[in-house]
Amino acid sequence: MKRGLSLQAALAAYRPDAELAPLPEQIDPDRLLSFFHPDHLRDSVTTLTVGPNAGAHCQRELAGLLQAEAVIDEVDLAGAPVTDTDVLVIGGGGAGCAAALAAAEHGARVLLATKLRLGDSNTVMAEGGIQAAIEPGDSAQKHMQDTLRAGHHAGDPALVAAMVGDGPEVIRWLIRQGMQFDQTASGDLHTRRAGGTSAPRIVHCRDYTGLEMMRVLREAVAQHRGIEVWDQHPAVELLSNERGQKCVGAVLSSLADRRLCIVRTRSVILATGGLGRLHLNGFPTSNHLGATGDGLVLAYRMGARLCELDSFQYHPTGLVNPPYLSGKLVTEGIRAAGALLLNAQGQRFVDELQPRDIVCAAIIRECREGRGIHPDTGGVGVWLDTPRLERGQPGLLERQFPKLLARTRVAGIDPRNEPILVYPTLHYQNGGAVIDVDGATTVPGLYAAGEVAGGIHGRNRIMGNALLEIIGFGRRAGIAAALSGHDRGPKKITLEHVNRARRALALAGLPLDRRAPQLLPPYTAAGKNS
Amino acid sequence: MTDSTAPGGQAVELVINGIAVRAEPHMTIVEAAWAGGVPRVTGVGCLEGVCGSCRILLRRGQDVSVALACETFAEPGIEALFLPPPAAARHQYELTDFTDGWDIQARFQEIFPEAVRCRHCHGCVRSCPKGIVVEEGIALAAAGRFREAGEAFLECVMCELCDSACPEQIAPAHVGLFCRRITAFFHLRPPNLIHRLEELRQEPFSSSGDKESA
Ligand SMILES: Cc1cc2nc3c(=O)[nH]c(=O)nc-3n(C[C@H](O)[C@H](O)[C@H](O)COP(=O)(O)OP(=O)(O)OC[C@H]3O[C@@H](n4cnc5c(N)ncnc54)[C@H](O)[C@@H]3O)c2cc1C
Ligand code: SF4
Ligand code: SF4
Repeated sequence: MKRGLSLQAALAAYRPDAELAPLPEQIDPDRLLSFFHPDHLRDSVTTLTVGPNAGAHCQRELAGLLQAEAVIDEVDLAGAPVTDTDVLVIGGGGAGCAAALAAAEHGARVLLATKLRLGDSNTVMAEGGIQAAIEPGDSAQKHMQDTLRAGHHAGDPALVAAMVGDGPEVIRWLIRQGMQFDQTASGDLHTRRAGGTSAPRIVHCRDYTGLEMMRVLREAVAQHRGIEVWDQHPAVELLSNERGQKCVGAVLSSLADRRLCIVRTRSVILATGGLGRLHLNGFPTSNHLGATGDGLVLAYRMGARLCELDSFQYHPTGLVNPPYLSGKLVTEGIRAAGALLLNAQGQRFVDELQPRDIVCAAIIRECREGRGIHPDTGGVGVWLDTPRLERGQPGLLERQFPKLLARTRVAGIDPRNEPILVYPTLHYQNGGAVIDVDGATTVPGLYAAGEVAGGIHGRNRIMGNALLEIIGFGRRAGIAAALSGHDRGPKKITLEHVNRARRALALAGLPLDRRAPQLLPPYTAAGKNS
Repeated sequence: MTDSTAPGGQAVELVINGIAVRAEPHMTIVEAAWAGGVPRVTGVGCLEGVCGSCRILLRRGQDVSVALACETFAEPGIEALFLPPPAAARHQYELTDFTDGWDIQARFQEIFPEAVRCRHCHGCVRSCPKGIVVEEGIALAAAGRFREAGEAFLECVMCELCDSACPEQIAPAHVGLFCRRITAFFHLRPPNLIHRLEELRQEPFSSSGDKESA
């Protein structure tokens, strides 16, 4: 990487009213991506050798976890207490809560087990908002086209159609749970336009959309008479029938004392979210502490097919400074509102509302080619020009982005006067478990919803579609799981799928000393001794 | 992750959950706990102050306060104690129980009977890490001004540190959330959304038509 300007020099040279040259001519997006997007880094991708996706491309670090041994064995299960329930939901973010509520509304007894506290999730951090085609000039059809196009046409049209068709109903359902959204003076829902979309379609609650959604859903779940919640009980393995072909429950481990317990159930819904805390390719992340890709590991060992395992979303605007917030997000809403990106020379270099992968690759290019800004504390970035935005629309930051101001205030930065240094951060897992429109995976009895599921966003996601997906498909999976047929008689619960996976690893000559799921990153004290 | 040492920074000694820890300056209490190997610190979530999980009690000399560990920095000599998660809620309600907005004040009094007993001790306000005017919010709720009360709690992260401080066990965060929820439940009726829902009711979306695609 060529050295650009120091932070001090760049700040001294910065003027919010400086004249900007017109945007330089843009190179072909495919070339830009293949040279600069982290998915295309050399050595970042490998080929899976065992399991349902054998032969497919997969990000290298993730492949290591998918092709690892289970953390438990049959002997560990002796004496573990057994709990019976109709539907087990694994994961307490937005998708898990929506699934639990929908299953309970359809008469199922629901147990929701989550790794940390209910609501400690990627959902609670979402800022920008949620997509729904509700404006007069907009339509579900346009929403569908935008989603497929931004995903480079790798998404499954049937899933995308289901999601965009659910949009308006999802917003109504959220309002009925008690979620607030910003309104215009005449009472309409206020909408913003996201990067890579053809119409304003993002509805939001200031820049606290995820917080508002999560606290409302958490309260609704906690208060629901048909749902039991177990905090601090991560799933460490699934359970299968004698032939290892149907999912019939899961093994949970208490974070407090690591004691195992068995949950026996008709259907399991995986809603474990993403994997930012695996820090793929050494990137910082915007994700919460529990985002370690556990759901992918559990589903894969059980025999569920996954998709797009070599495609991740790096969000263009992660904070660089201060170090303890490195990788944390500045919402795209701020670019949607008009904020520009400037390099060390104070010039624009990309259309800020292009899809995220393009903007990301462009930022990485600027930094690699010596047009980045380097703070003393390490790292590199480009400017997000918030002072210019504030000049153009005085009071906007305070009115619409209070979370950004609150966070930077703690760090002693005022984005109204000082531009923000940003660099791409590992943000979202584009792929995941293959599902159908009911959220069913390729393994009977196993459903997946939310970020752990794949097939909707193709190889790139537009802002606001994740929150829509988690509620839309969370509800679909919850309903399907609740209504799925009862099995007669006592069910045998086994670890047959674990044995099968171990045989496959041994046969392929892969090492058996690596274990997954990881549950917590190794730099946490709890993650160290696990 | 925590190579956040400012060049030449002096190590900071502090105590976390009774364990002596050496941390780099600029580390948050969470990072210091990790670096120091303090076991069983699992009350951590988003690391950016919005999930409200990393509740700590802080002692600086004589001064005792509460805070969120991901937003509090290591200082020489301080003692931090990670608090257990908040206790289960004492109130019970489901929004679908409410059919008539006219009796909502009466229902509120039934569900949160403590709310009118605020003694204005400011305990909640002093303990709130988000600077929320908790006490004012409770007064607005008790007066039935639910929309304004809810607005006061916009930035509430549900850490419930205010609840731990409240001698009347008012559960202010849950009162605030109740106010926000019923405001949406009864009053949020956006014409643009309702219009689209009605269109979809008359003609459900099917992607097979592909009418508009060019
Ligand atoms: C900072 C940030 C901002 C974002 N902004 C937006 C936005 O504006 N709009 C948008 O649409 N999307 C946004 N996203 C993406 C979106 O928030 C997420 O994709 C979405 O919320 C994921 O929801 P989920 O329920 O699938 O997963 P999560 O909300 O992450 O929940 C997963 C849950 O599963 C638990 N879990 C994990 N492993 C286990 C296990 N082994 N056992 C039990 N439980 C487990 C976790 O602890 C967590 O509670 C943002 C994401 C981030 C990180
Ligand atoms: S109002 Fe209470 S629960 Fe909400 S942030 Fe403040 S102290 Fe935490
Ligand atoms: S702590 Fe409780 S009693 Fe004291 S001011 Fe706050 S709400 Fe009122």
